[in-house]
Amino acid sequence: MTTIKPILLAEDNPRDAELALAAMEEHHIADKVVVCHDGAEVLDYLYCRGVFASRQHGNPVVVFLDLKMPKVDGLEVLRTIKNDVNLKPIPVVMLTSSREERDLAQSYALGANAYVVKPVEFHQFIKAVKELGVFWGVINEPPPEYSERIK
Amino acid sequence: MESVTQERPTTPASVRSEPIPEGGPAPAPKTGWLMEWFTHWSIERRVLAGFGLVFTGIVVISAISYRNTAILIENSLLDTKSHELVQLLDSVGEALGAAESGHRRYLVTGDESYLISYRTVVEQMPDYLRYLRSLTGGGLEQQARVAALEQLIAKQLRAEAGAITQREKRGYDAVRHLALSGAAKNELEGIHHLMMELDSAEQRALLLRVAQSAGSTRNTIALLGLGALLQLMLLASVYFLIHHDVTERRRVATELQSRGELLQAANKELEAFSYSVSHDLRAPLRHIDGYAALLSKAAGETLNDKARRYLQTISDSAKQMGQLIDDLLVFSRMGRQDMLRTTVNLDQLVKTVLHDLRLDLQGRTISWTMHPLPEVLGDPAMLRQVFVNLISNALKFTATRPETKIEIGANKRNPAEVEIFVRDNGVGFDMQYVNKLFGVFQRLHRNDEFEGTGIGLANVRRIIHRHGGRTWAEGALDQGAAFYFSVPLARASR
Repeated sequence: MTTIKPILLAEDNPRDAELALAAMEEHHIADKVVVCHDGAEVLDYLYCRGVFASRQHGNPVVVFLDLKMPKVDGLEVLRTIKNDVNLKPIPVVMLTSSREERDLAQSYALGANAYVVKPVEFHQFIKAVKELGVFWGVINEPPPEYSERIK
Repeated sequence: MESVTQERPTTPASVRSEPIPEGGPAPAPKTGWLMEWFTHWSIERRVLAGFGLVFTGIVVISAISYRNTAILIENSLLDTKSHELVQLLDSVGEALGAAESGHRRYLVTGDESYLISYRTVVEQMPDYLRYLRSLTGGGLEQQARVAALEQLIAKQLRAEAGAITQREKRGYDAVRHLALSGAAKNELEGIHHLMMELDSAEQRALLLRVAQSAGSTRNTIALLGLGALLQLMLLASVYFLIHHDVTERRRVATELQSRGELLQAANKELEAFSYSVSHDLRAPLRHIDGYAALLSKAAGETLNDKARRYLQTISDSAKQMGQLIDDLLVFSRMGRQDMLRTTVNLDQLVKTVLHDLRLDLQGRTISWTMHPLPEVLGDPAMLRQVFVNLISNALKFTATRPETKIEIGANKRNPAEVEIFVRDNGVGFDMQYVNKLFGVFQRLHRNDEFEGTGIGLANVRRIIHRHGGRTWAEGALDQGAAFYFSVPLARASR
């Protein structure tokens, strides 16, 4: 493992993004986080195009996905990821304000790996984001890089 | 935003099948008051009245037809008698004529063989006369004539008998004038006259009866025709009324459906709106709380106590609003969620609820009175929410009591429905505000007295309404409260 695999955070709200980064800061994983501000940007990152055309190849260790995003929404991004053979192994965690049954059901049906409702209380929010970051970024063993194994 | 409707434990309005007289008597005024009065009848009454009339018509017409037919049969019997009478008169006349002429020949010749027909008449006359009397059974006039005829015949026969005796004793000369003119000439003429009268009277009666029979038959036919027409008319009007009613019902049903659809659409829009508002409101709250926390962390050392309390208040307020929004979301979801309808064992349900609330029960002295609860028809998760809310409420508002008393039970008011109640000995409420209890965000206590967002009882009402039941409450300040709701029973027979 020569390069540090990034955590991709898709969050259209800059304040939410900042709060999430502040939470991860406490566990010194903030520098691994790449923030995208809408669904289209997420897809650009994953397919190494647009502003991410020159980035180092390789999938993120986890994608934190908000449901409500401009341009391409969270469910659309999720569908694209899970329908692509190369992107499919990436763990996707829905991180959203919605506790709606419908959103939950649709996310899991599309193959989400986890669904987390953002707590209103900051301490709980910090705790949740920190635990997520630590679990997916540190504890969890990410899938092997497909581009390396499959010719 | 007060949505509380008056809902006391009044008896539910009985369901009636009559068409609703929406907007008063609508049908055309030209039909008059009778029609108007009639249209106020229920469909059942109208049909019953229609069939009653038809039935009465049939009975009346049948009775008249029966009477007419009976007359016809009686007339035909009388006719037979009349024809027999006429024939009998002919035979009697003939026999008398034969006897008379035979008798006269005997007077002339003295040859006894001429007396055969005379003797036969004498022998048979009583039978003939008896027969005659029986045939004139009805008419008094004819009876009188028969009686007169009898006397005349007897007289004539006597006169002839006298002539025969004289001839035997004194010879031809003694009876010559009798042989020429005939013995009892006057009587014989009288007899013929009477017989003709009898005959013509009988013929007249016969003719009269024929006319009467023909009239009666015509009458019956006309009556039957009229009856059929009448019944057709009645049936047609009954059909018209039913048809009118059915059309009206169909129209009302269609209108109800279209209004229901409109309502449903409006409801959906409202739900989407409330969902979106609640959802979007959470983000800024998270930011307020988050940045307040970050600020207190970044500048905590340099802040004085007052400033730290301000920050804490900002944080607390944000959390409280978050709780309100969460409750609102639950409330909104309760209205939209698909509802199950299965048998729910309430005894079991309450047990699991108490188990779930065990943390709230710790450190409390509670005396429970649990009456057996029935099985009801409904959504288990929703009904569970009802009990959670009501029991939590009871626990909350009895927290200031040294000993908490909570009673849960059921009253069966009718075979299809049961009333469940949760009663406590808590702080109670003023009945003056009873209508506010079940409203959204309606509270009867200050937040520093008892915590809460004022959504619990609104949720209870919403759930119970979706089950087709009612909610109400009774209480008095400082004397406890009782909350009631009604739900359909699982089996109506219980």
